[in-house]
This record gives sequence, C-alpha cells and structure tokens, in this order.
Amino acid sequence: MSVQRSFYKDRIYPLIFMFVTTLLCILLTSGLHLLTLDRAEANELSFARRAILQAADLDFTNTTDGIERAYRTQIGEEAGFYTATGTFGTRYIIPLDGPGLWGTITIMVGLEEDLETFSGVAIVSQNETPGLGARIEESWFTDQFKGKRAPFIMVEEGTSSAPQEVDAITGATRTSEYFKNLTARVPGEAQRLIRGE
Amino acid sequence: MAKSKLRKTFVEPLGKNNPVFVQILGICSTLAVTNKVQNTMVMTLGVTFTTALSSWTISLLRNHIPSRIRMMVETMIIAAFVIIVDIVLKAFYPEMWKQLGPYVGLIITNCIIMGRVEAFALNNKPLPSLVDGFASGLGYTYVLLSIAVVRELLGSGSIWGIRILGSWWTNWSIMIMPPGGFFVLAIIIWVIRETVMKEESHA
Repeated sequence: MSVQRSFYKDRIYPLIFMFVTTLLCILLTSGLHLLTLDRAEANELSFARRAILQAADLDFTNTTDGIERAYRTQIGEEAGFYTATGTFGTRYIIPLDGPGLWGTITIMVGLEEDLETFSGVAIVSQNETPGLGARIEESWFTDQFKGKRAPFIMVEEGTSSAPQEVDAITGATRTSEYFKNLTARVPGEAQRLIRGE
Repeated sequence: MAKSKLRKTFVEPLGKNNPVFVQILGICSTLAVTNKVQNTMVMTLGVTFTTALSSWTISLLRNHIPSRIRMMVETMIIAAFVIIVDIVLKAFYPEMWKQLGPYVGLIITNCIIMGRVEAFALNNKPLPSLVDGFASGLGYTYVLLSIAVVRELLGSGSIWGIRILGSWWTNWSIMIMPPGGFFVLAIIIWVIRETVMKEESHA
C-alpha cells in the first residue's frame, strides 16, 4: 500500500500536475491570442500601408483611419508592386527584404518614373539593436534617400555632401552597411518587378 | 502586526533589499533596455506585472506543487504571463511592441521574477507574495528609470524622445551603447552604497 502511495506521489502526481498546468497556460495564452488576432493583423497591415505611403512621399495623417483613407484614394495595387498617382505623375513602390545585423530588414522603396530616382524609403520591419541600428527607422535617416539614385556611399554621420553620399548611423556601422547593400539591389529589383525583365 | 509586516514586505525591495542595487539581479535587462526612457518604462511595467502576478499565482499553488518539478511549473507560469504582456502590447500598443522587439520575450529570463518566486512566494501567503512581487517590480522600475534618464539625456540629448539639450550638445554615443549601461549602473550602485546604505548600516 505504502509503496503504491509513494509511486503515485513521486511519479504520477508530478506528471499530472505539470500536464494540467501546461494545458491551462496554453489555453489562456492561445485564447488571448485568438481574441486579439484581428487587431494584431490589422496593425500589421496598417504598418505596411503606412510604409507604402511614406515611400511614395505622400502626405497623410498618421492614424489608422488617416492611413487607410490615403491608401484607398492614392495607391494602386499591382502584381508584386504598388503605384501612386498625383501631380508628380506616377511613382512605383516596391517591397524588398534582405539581411540585417540580427534579422531580416523589410523595406518599401518608392521610385520615380525613371525607376532609378528614389522618392522615399520606409521600414516595414526590422530587428536591429534598439537605440543604434534601429535608428534606421528615424526620418532623418530615411529622408536622406529622397531624390537620390542607388548605389549609395555611406559616410560618417553628419558629413554627407556629394549626391551619392548618405550619413551612416554612428555605432551601427554594420546595420548601415546592410542597409546600403539592400538599397543597391533596388534598380535591379524594380526592372524585374515592374518591367518584368 | 500583520499590517506592519505587509508594509515591511512592501518597503524592503524599494530600499535596503532592492533587487538591482543590493541583490544585483536583472542586470541583463538593466543594461539592455535603459538607452531610451520610453522603452525602459514599458519593460519595467511588464516586469512589475509579471513578478506581481506570478508570485501571487505560485503562492496560491505553493502547497500543491510537487517540489521536484517546481522550477518547471514556475517557468511555465512566468512564461504564460510574459506571453500575455507580449500579446496585449502587440494588439493595443503596436508601435511600442515594434520598438521593444525581442526584449519583451526576454522578461522570462529576468532573474528577479524567478528569485522572488523561489525566495518569497513559495513560503508565504498569496497577498504578501503579491505585495512582494509588486514592490520588487517597483524597486526595479525606479532604478532603471534613473539610469535611462541619464543615458538618454547624455547619449541622445533627449528624454522620452523629446529634445532637451540644444543643438550645441554633442551626443555621447557611448552612453546609448552597452558600455554606457555598465558605467551608469556602476556609478549609481556606488553612490547609493556610499551614501544612503552606509548611513543605514551605521544607525
């Protein structure tokens, strides 16, 4: 009898306890995940649309509704790329991703009709070091690419002068390099996606 | 009696038993997230929420958890609370969630949470455990915020993303890089131990 009791207490009970705890935790977290899934997906979509608007260098109010309104009225969706039309003519926006320091960097690049001059660059997602590489999201960095053509040359922060040059981020040399390599692929990708060459 | 004991449970983690500058726990996150005040705030709120609730939950279960598997149970419960923080941030504060990225998940590895569960919640009733967890979270919060204010101000010339110092200020990039965290943390620990703590031990 006592042997059976200790077998239950030492072996079976911990097993059941762990199983039940795990089950409860999983139910709780998956339940919450499913409840908020729509919201999370809507947020993702909104981030991507905002990036498209920023890359096309359009004006919009930075709220969920503002992004949605601007996107609906000014952006056209094509197979693999987007178009924006306005007084400036037509701009093409292509999505692009490539390696960063810690993970994949996904960006949207807006191009003028020549498919070479950048109208803007916007980050969709990145996993760079917060406070250092993650500063590629800051507007002073992305704004530098407007009106310029790839490939770029990264120079020390605050020293860019020639048209090919952009300021790198101090303390994030590697991220800056990865970003430069990513933008260098833009003309080729644009030809492939938009012209189908 | 019970009330004064509860007060003691609340006050100790804020001062002479502070998790950061006395127990030197949770240092990884202290060094990692304190280069921006905003990130630090969200991180510390997440840690406070998790320590308080996981201490409370484990205290409720303390007489039923088989001691051989208690670490597994603790980790499981802590992880569940951290995932809740992650899901809520992702759904309701997406900008913040995007900025913090991998750090939210890393709350699980914060030693303060496991430490309070092991040292306090396993041997105390739910209410004191909740208070202890919450106070430890607060003790962690104010130390991290002070470090973050110094680092962001010197490293970026701003606080909470708002520019404080004029354009004459040259950013000390080292402050927002990992070494800056070591410097400021060490200086704060030294100052507190040399001034406040010394007086206490004499008294």
